[in-house]
Amino acid sequence: TVAAFGSFRFVIKGGLAGAAVYVAYDQGLLGSGTQGAEALRKAQEALPPAIQEWTSYIGWEVRTLPPIPKIDFSPSDSWNKGVQTVISALSVAPTRACEYTVEGWKYVKDLVK
Amino acid sequence: MASEGEVGGKRDQCLADSAIKLGAGFGLGIVFSVIFFKRKTWPITFGSGMGLGMAYSNCQHDFQSPYLLQGKSVKVA
Repeated sequence: TVAAFGSFRFVIKGGLAGAAVYVAYDQGLLGSGTQGAEALRKAQEALPPAIQEWTSYIGWEVRTLPPIPKIDFSPSDSWNKGVQTVISALSVAPTRACEYTVEGWKYVKDLVK
Repeated sequence: MASEGEVGGKRDQCLADSAIKLGAGFGLGIVFSVIFFKRKTWPITFGSGMGLGMAYSNCQHDFQSPYLLQGKSVKVA
């Protein structure tokens, strides 16, 4: 009976582990790149309503919480914008430095007068 | 999509896929660690590493052989 109980326990554990792997496969988490991106998009869409449902279930005042923003973020676009901003700032930096130097010198001269 | 935006789109897809695969590997690692391996840490690390490896392989395929269908079954009428 101990051996039978041990086998039964192993079968239960194997079933749970197999179910977890199957659910992950079925949701497209272990597939190609497009499937993974699609799964992330579905999760992002499902997150705000789920948070709202949980807060209303727990009983928190939803009015005090800010509206949950829609997560629509493109890392490549953000990176490109960041690079463009930095490079344009660097390109105008010498001109701006000259302007500020002239203004600063004029201010000091006016102070000294 | 403009042609210069295609690479950016692929990179975004790679990042999203990496996040998903890392999370799935981490989660499955936790499941296996709790069920079979007495809550040790190594299955979690192993699962996360496997997830990252799968994501890397997908990204590599997307960038190098984008027109090759990967693991798709097409029913012939």
